[in-house]
Amino acid sequence: MGGAAPRGEAPRFQRSLVGKESPLADDSASNGASRRRFLKLATCALGGGVGAAVAIPAIRYAITPIGEKTVSAADDPIDALPLEQVKPGAPPLQVTLVAPVQRDGWAAVKNVPLGAAWIRRDTGGTLTALSAVCPHLGCAVGFDGKQYVCPCHDSTFALDGAVQAGPSKRGLDPLPFEVVEGRLRIAWVRYRLGGPDREKA
Amino acid sequence: MSIGSWLEERTGWRSNVGAALDTKIAGGPSFAHVFGAVLGSILVIQAVTGILLAMSYSPSVSAAWASVAYIEDQVALGWFIRGMHLYGSSAMVIVAGLYLLQSAVWGGYKKPRELVWILQVVILGVLMLFPLTGHGLPWDQQGYWATKVELGITASAPGGAYIVQLAQGGNDMGNLTLTRLYAIHALLLPALVLILWLVRRALIRHHGLTPKWNAPDTAVGYFPDQAFRDAIAIALAVAALIAYTVYQGGAPLAAPADSTVPFDARPEWFIRPLFQLRKYAGPLEHLAALGAPVVVGGFLIGLPFVDRSPDRSPRRRPLVMAALALGGVVVLALVGLSFRDDANDEDLAKRVAWSEKRAAQARSLALANGVPPTGGTAVFSTAPHWQARVIWQKACASCHEGDDRKGPLITVGYGSRAWIRGFLTDPSGDAYFGRTKLAKTDKAMKAVEQTGAELDALVEMVYAQSGAKDVDAKKVEIGVGLFDSVCSDCHEREAGKDSDPGPNLFGMGSLAHRASLIANPAAPTMYGAHNEMPAFAADTTESDRAAIATWLAWMQTATARDVEALGEP
Ligand code: FES
Repeated sequence: MGGAAPRGEAPRFQRSLVGKESPLADDSASNGASRRRFLKLATCALGGGVGAAVAIPAIRYAITPIGEKTVSAADDPIDALPLEQVKPGAPPLQVTLVAPVQRDGWAAVKNVPLGAAWIRRDTGGTLTALSAVCPHLGCAVGFDGKQYVCPCHDSTFALDGAVQAGPSKRGLDPLPFEVVEGRLRIAWVRYRLGGPDREKA
Repeated sequence: MSIGSWLEERTGWRSNVGAALDTKIAGGPSFAHVFGAVLGSILVIQAVTGILLAMSYSPSVSAAWASVAYIEDQVALGWFIRGMHLYGSSAMVIVAGLYLLQSAVWGGYKKPRELVWILQVVILGVLMLFPLTGHGLPWDQQGYWATKVELGITASAPGGAYIVQLAQGGNDMGNLTLTRLYAIHALLLPALVLILWLVRRALIRHHGLTPKWNAPDTAVGYFPDQAFRDAIAIALAVAALIAYTVYQGGAPLAAPADSTVPFDARPEWFIRPLFQLRKYAGPLEHLAALGAPVVVGGFLIGLPFVDRSPDRSPRRRPLVMAALALGGVVVLALVGLSFRDDANDEDLAKRVAWSEKRAAQARSLALANGVPPTGGTAVFSTAPHWQARVIWQKACASCHEGDDRKGPLITVGYGSRAWIRGFLTDPSGDAYFGRTKLAKTDKAMKAVEQTGAELDALVEMVYAQSGAKDVDAKKVEIGVGLFDSVCSDCHEREAGKDSDPGPNLFGMGSLAHRASLIANPAAPTMYGAHNEMPAFAADTTESDRAAIATWLAWMQTATARDVEALGEP
């Protein structure tokens, strides 16, 4: 590397590249400081401009998934089983709700299991469909013959879904359903976990 | 104490940055020294856009095309980021090439900088590998076929078969090819460039950048004079890259890779000279494609050891200058000729237009319906009536479409009121039963003699058989009366009743009727003994027949434009 040359002796080809009026060309001692300041500012401005031109689209791209439904199935009720299979007074039945098509990012996948529901008809014939997702932290709830039991932190729920014991702050979440031509159709809904209130997730 | 000084005490950043900014540039600040900075900034852009793309890309044969189409059409500014990445890779090669050319002209390879020069040649080579490994990643027709051709050329080199098996991960292109290309493109090559770049920087620290041969014997600090020039050059380069990306509307994406659909693959522009050379080389094409890069690479790497005089002035090195100029002209001419040949090829233009249409169709289907997990090409099967149209092409079109058909023409408007009217008034017309054997016998249906309101009523009565909702009940009633007096000699209209010689009209035109007609047109309720159409009960499934019936129902109200918009099955 060559030795340091004293400042102020601009190389001759520099002048041919930039006009006389340009601050680049004016390198007299009195203007040296302001010239330096100008170059500094201009360099930072250009650098900032280039940075912004790349960073802004990059950030916009990166934050795309926020608020986006990248994994989604139609909200329509899903065909579960013939109603006659749900006998009044019998123990609850677990059914898996399978979406005919689920969009997952770029893919459209057929017959995707979304979740499970517990279905029961009381002796009066009233039907309940409960989400098998524990409202505490989301484990899969089972049935022990008398009540629903969550294996993770031992919340237990009565047949109608009400909490009996354990950390869950609310009862099992009911799922909307309908009966069409003798078949039970249940809509799959995810609720926010943890809290006492039932809000859609 | 300010944070800055606190950090300074612990890291020495101020003095380090200060020293770096004051690095002396021999010969003083100049726009001629901007290439390194511009190349560096483009590499940063490539890294940023590459990481962003990797966030939404899936390197598997079944998902690659779909994920790239997703980036293009569903990720905010995805088209822009991918465009910047693609065109940025070209910019990278161009700037690195110019930088190398400058070194060559300035004699930057001369003692003691031989290794700096060789590193620079190697870096350019590695940079070229980025587009070469990257263009296969979308697994579209372009990338698939271009990669296939490149692997084919590599295979013809000595030992090439092993390289090919390594690169494609086995005996054929597939999932392992993609994961390997991806790992090489996104992990191996960046690491390699980084290492080469660091080594080169260390060497440059040692020797200083090559000044122009006639530069004054001065050395000025990097900041701010050279930094300002660098900033201007970077800003111009990035602005040009952005402008080009926007002008092009981002990077192209061809239809999903399909080994059964031919495609006019073209290599990267900087491979075009080889592509063109092969055309002239005839039987020696492999030798040309493999030999030319070896000759060029050998010349560049050997240069410092051939041209050893310390004189760096280009004027006093006419041989080297002539060789460089000749090489440059030949390369540019070959690129130009290759593009010119393509531009003059009308058949190519037609094939390209066809491919582009297919690509656009695949993209819009992917956007509307998503891509089935079986892979990119399956996206076509999500087109409306795809199942029906595929069967139609195979089993029905030869008799019901085109000039050689033997049965009635089935096209848009089939089964509509206008079609029924035309049929009733001219059942043996060319578009109707004209081409059947029946039409030439006395068993052929006679044209209906009714006109005006009576004909309207008959048309409405036949039309109503399909179960259509938009019928005029009054007219139907009149039509039924007319039917009983003029048609009932030949046709029944009660469900399930055998009908001879003409078919039972009950349900005619409905989905169920059409599906069962396809299954067995010779049923006694259908054409019975007069049937000439093959039965398809064995060759089609119930779902196939239902699909065709649904498609025919769609055709009834469709226009030729609608059919065109569906694309080819
Ligand atoms: S997740 Fe069910 S009790 Fe905690």
